[in-house]
Amino acid sequence: MKVLWKEFTKMLVVSNPLFVVLLGFCPALAITTSLDSALGMTFGLTFCIFFTNTIVSLIRKWIPNVVRIPVFIVIGATFVTIVDLVFHSYVPAIWAVLGIYLPLITTNCILLGRAESFAQHNRVVAAIGDGLGAGIGFGLAIIIISFFRQLFGTGVLSILGHTIVTLPLLNEHPIGIFILPPGAFLVIGLLHALFRRTGVEKSE
Amino acid sequence: MKKYYPIFFLAIIVLSSVVLLSITNSLTKDKILAQEEEATLTQLNNMFSEMTNYTLDGDIYFITAGDNIIGYAFKAIGNGYGGSISILIGLETDKTTVKGISIISNAETAGLGSRITLPSFTDRFIGKNINDVKLTQDGGQIDGISGSTISSRAVVETVRNTALEKIQELAD
Repeated sequence: MKVLWKEFTKMLVVSNPLFVVLLGFCPALAITTSLDSALGMTFGLTFCIFFTNTIVSLIRKWIPNVVRIPVFIVIGATFVTIVDLVFHSYVPAIWAVLGIYLPLITTNCILLGRAESFAQHNRVVAAIGDGLGAGIGFGLAIIIISFFRQLFGTGVLSILGHTIVTLPLLNEHPIGIFILPPGAFLVIGLLHALFRRTGVEKSE
Repeated sequence: MKKYYPIFFLAIIVLSSVVLLSITNSLTKDKILAQEEEATLTQLNNMFSEMTNYTLDGDIYFITAGDNIIGYAFKAIGNGYGGSISILIGLETDKTTVKGISIISNAETAGLGSRITLPSFTDRFIGKNINDVKLTQDGGQIDGISGSTISSRAVVETVRNTALEKIQELAD
């Protein structure tokens, strides 16, 4: 239990995939325009990393070194396809927004990276903690980014169709750049600077 | 024997993946089909407000209100700037006048080519004779979106070519 918690918090904060290690930029730039899509991505990615890490760790002793990358990709792609089919049938609106970025989780550097650099060398409990931490850590990061982008870019903050906050002036004159790709760079840059400033990185 | 172990191992992994995916597919298949049908129905409803039902013959939707056919609709796929564009096209009963179009999916540049999905563009097709569905600079009656000529032309050409094809099919 202690190992699980240790690996979980390690990925969540100390080496947060997005803010600290700077991995997974493609989805982070593309689908952080609304809280809904960020939540969908978080769920999808965490599910995939959790199962990929667990299975890779379970069979790590039998994986021949020469075919390890194909093995990781097949395992990852299987769970990504499951997520894709399930999203398509149960939450078609979110599935449509995530579009190509859902199947692209397969080649996501976080998914493959955790399998290659952690799960294949470690015991199952540690790999589970690591996987959940990486998924939720990345998820929290994109949720924070999409929070700012949606708030300033549209002036309205809504989640699953429920409006939470409506900003009086921004509602009529939203700052459009926040919704466009450059807005993602701005927000990620500022949050990364904040993470450095607060010294999260120094503890590594 | 040891030489073949990696091949053997990978085959087992792929086989388990296939089994797992076919189970998932059979569990979600019907739901996805139903989902897509409902989406089509909503789009047809938006185009033909009086519609009460539709029948699908081949790949043409016959739109009905009571016992009368009030129009035809079909899907078309064209090549845009960033990938394929899928379009739903509606025709009046005279088989030459466009009832309306709606973009089902596209991969055009966000903020530029993706403006083809906006009513301000798709409304330009309503009531046009199918033979006039060309860009203004190509001698037709549809104004393209400035800055998105490739996307606009892709939609216009796809609509006209597919519609002419389907009109031929309807006539036969």
